Amino acid sequence: MAKSKIRGGVHPKGCKELSSGAATVPYQAKGELVFPLSQHIGKPAVPIVKKGDTVLAGQTIAKADGFISAPIISSGSGKVKIIEPRLTSAGVMAQCIVIDNDGQYTLDPSVGQKCDYTKLSSQEILAKVQAAGIVGLGGAGFPTHAKLAPKNPEEIEYVIANGAECEPYITCDDRLMQEHPDWVVMGLKVVLQLFPNAKGVIAIEDNKPAAIAAMQKAVQRDERLSVLELETRYPQGGERGLVHAVTGQWLGGGGALPATLGCIVDNVTTLSAVYQAVCEGMPLMEKGFTVSGDAVANPGNFMIKLGTSLQEVLDAAGGLKAEARKALLGGPMMGTAISSYDVPIVKANNALLCMTRDEVEEADKLMTACIRCGRCGTACPMGLIPQMMAVAAKNKDYARYDQLHGTDCIACGSCTYICPAKRPLTQLFKQTKPVVLGLKRAGQL
Amino acid sequence: MEKLLNVSSSPHLRDSKLTTGHVMYDVIIALMPVTIFGIYHFGLHAFLVLLVSVATAVVTEYLFDLATHHPNTVKDGSAVLTGLLLGLCCSPTVPLYIPFLGSLFAIALVKCAFGGLGQNFMNPALAGRCFLLLSFSSAMTSYSVDGTSSATPLAVLEEGGTVDVLDMFLGFTDGTICISIAAMLIGGAYLLITKGITWHIPVAYVGSFLICMIAFGGQGFDVMYLVAHLCGGGIVFGALFMATDPVTSPVTGMGQLIYGAVIGVLTAVFRVFGSSAESVSYAIILGNLVTPLIDRWVVPKPYGIGDGTKKEVSDQPKKFPKAAITLACITLIAGLALGLVNFMTADIIEAQNAAAKAASYVEVIPTADEVNYDDDLTALVEEAAAASDYYADSTFGKVTLNEAVVGTDASGNVVGYAISVSTADGYGDSITLSVGFDTEGTILGLSFTELEETAGLGMRADEDSFKSQFVGVQVDSFTLNKSGGSTADDEIDSISGASTTSGAVVNAVNAAIDFFANYIQ
Repeated sequence: MAKSKIRGGVHPKGCKELSSGAATVPYQAKGELVFPLSQHIGKPAVPIVKKGDTVLAGQTIAKADGFISAPIISSGSGKVKIIEPRLTSAGVMAQCIVIDNDGQYTLDPSVGQKCDYTKLSSQEILAKVQAAGIVGLGGAGFPTHAKLAPKNPEEIEYVIANGAECEPYITCDDRLMQEHPDWVVMGLKVVLQLFPNAKGVIAIEDNKPAAIAAMQKAVQRDERLSVLELETRYPQGGERGLVHAVTGQWLGGGGALPATLGCIVDNVTTLSAVYQAVCEGMPLMEKGFTVSGDAVANPGNFMIKLGTSLQEVLDAAGGLKAEARKALLGGPMMGTAISSYDVPIVKANNALLCMTRDEVEEADKLMTACIRCGRCGTACPMGLIPQMMAVAAKNKDYARYDQLHGTDCIACGSCTYICPAKRPLTQLFKQTKPVVLGLKRAGQL
Repeated sequence: MEKLLNVSSSPHLRDSKLTTGHVMYDVIIALMPVTIFGIYHFGLHAFLVLLVSVATAVVTEYLFDLATHHPNTVKDGSAVLTGLLLGLCCSPTVPLYIPFLGSLFAIALVKCAFGGLGQNFMNPALAGRCFLLLSFSSAMTSYSVDGTSSATPLAVLEEGGTVDVLDMFLGFTDGTICISIAAMLIGGAYLLITKGITWHIPVAYVGSFLICMIAFGGQGFDVMYLVAHLCGGGIVFGALFMATDPVTSPVTGMGQLIYGAVIGVLTAVFRVFGSSAESVSYAIILGNLVTPLIDRWVVPKPYGIGDGTKKEVSDQPKKFPKAAITLACITLIAGLALGLVNFMTADIIEAQNAAAKAASYVEVIPTADEVNYDDDLTALVEEAAAASDYYADSTFGKVTLNEAVVGTDASGNVVGYAISVSTADGYGDSITLSVGFDTEGTILGLSFTELEETAGLGMRADEDSFKSQFVGVQVDSFTLNKSGGSTADDEIDSISGASTTSGAVVNAVNAAIDFFANYIQ
């Protein structure tokens, strides 16, 4: 079978070799643990501890506020130091629970109870997933229990485990699939328990042969499961592209969910967390995390405790060997540039990249007028025409922007990457899309 | 931390191998084969033409940026490219001031005045070429090697001659500096492979052009005729390097197909029906002008967005037929419309011509009350035709004797004759005029029934100041005085700037005089 690929897309340098060979090292933070209350899409969690309380690892410290929300679990033990606004990875001050870490990581007695998932009902599985505070760990942060509860579970045909990891540099999913393929497979099986008519597909880019081999071995005996090799191309791991690769059909616009085409897409790390929560009784306390970039002394992969500060993880990787010009939380295509390492790692974070060069700074010097070459349209995985969208956005012609389906932009950055004139297209769309959506909601468009 | 970290919006990577400069220099590289062949084939002067053209373009842009306090944009290579393109479509023998003026116009007026790179609404190089064609038409369209001027292959083809297609393909013929089709194809292939251009515009352009030529070229599906048309007159150069200029062509694939089809139809129309030797440049310039409209209207649907049903499957292979069908439809509709108009108007035009002729006979024999055909006279016309005294290569140029009529007064006495003559020596389509004589051979009047010369120049042949020179004179033949100020009866002052038209008319009148003297008298 020919390898599936998305339309459009670009081929940025992978740079995965920096850390792909480094086995995942568990790292227990020594300093304080900081938990922003909003680590997910939806309403922020509500604190249920107060200053001075003693908490244990695995203890819920903030409860979910509504269905589209998720609880926050303490990853370590110690005293609640304070609840106050701290700088978060989004670059803003947000309310955080700060735990004075005692370094013992004493487990709460309520966690760690093993369980046979085949004996659980759908409600019980969803309840465990929700209580464990699991959200989309690939970066989106959408509460997983909500995603796993579509209207008609029997209409779901595929559960897609997203192991594409198409962002350059990041290797933690790759390592997870190599080191613990069984966790992913078990997580997938738990989810399949919810969907009686679904098949499990593990989609992996072909630049990770070891992960593909490990996963293929792990799914051998199960005919409900299979591995789908994807061509290496950014943004292969996009939800819509994956759904198309598996079903041959395109999701409709306007943010249509994969469930409309009978698909559920979950990151492999999320599935692994589902396994830990449902089968092992361990809520979401730690996750794989890549520290890489040419400024890092010893790039590698770490199993970190949530709430650990970036500075501490960076030190664990040997610190900086050269002065960093730019530091990114997440991949270089969609990640966030951070101004300080004094920021806690949250659920959706998967990498810290420190670069000696800022390519954006260099490219800005080469910026020219748009030459209308149309490469942006060729690169767009959504089939949009960024060139026209940019003109509409610049002129604040929101009706035209909407007519061009500009609100379906997924901000993958492919157009900006490929643009010979070095125009900041994605930035423009990220600014314009909320405006247009707001106008549409208000009925003014 | 000594230095603050840089913060910016994602993505944080850029394709470092692709800048505007790379895009421009890729096209320049693609133009190298045809440039080198041109210099090899035409020699040093061709090189100088290119040098002047490129240098002027670069210096003009540099000075413009300096004068308008713009950041210097010379480095992006677009000025070099414009200069090179313009130089390549000049004749290799043009005086050097021509590429200089052309580049100056292209860069200063068409590009920089409209905001520089990316803002020009038509291809600067083509606009420069059109400017030169209009201003220095003879220099731009006279091609010669080693001082011997000869007709371009297309001009030969127009005359019904045959051309060596292989020589045209390889470039061993006369024309502009970009002469070798083979070298152009090498460059085009390079651009396609490096994704500098896509297939849409060249394929749509050449495809629709061919369809139109098959339909209206008058030769049907004659492979050699079509290939000759493809190899001549810059179609390939236009399709690969001019029409594909990204700034002035649509962004979307579908838009590019429509744009290519529009240019193809226009080129064919200009070639078949047009009076100017130039077709490609004007067609592409017009295509440039409709580009914003195409981009406004043609908005492709993003993947999966449409009626929103689950069954919606849009796969790559299905895209091509749809595009091809649209393309074929556009070409077909345009072609049919042209054919229909031609068909519907043919009869009307004929009737109008007949009426105009009848009116002109009365006008040129003012003494007659009635003008009639006369069997004897018609026989004489046929006799002259049989003797082919007044056809194609007679001493009177490419004239044709159409018919003769006799004018009578109220009592039926013959008072004069009117003779209708056509000549193909004018600038436009044929000129047809009626000449009236009295029975002695004195010219009574002159009237044009068909005159489609250049407005303000050749068209002035219809003014009394020109026509009156013939009236009331009886001579054996007239001669054309190009310098003006004639005093003798048999000298006709040429219309200023239109000696070709004037000469054609004088010859036609002479043919009429000759027919009158040798047959009627």
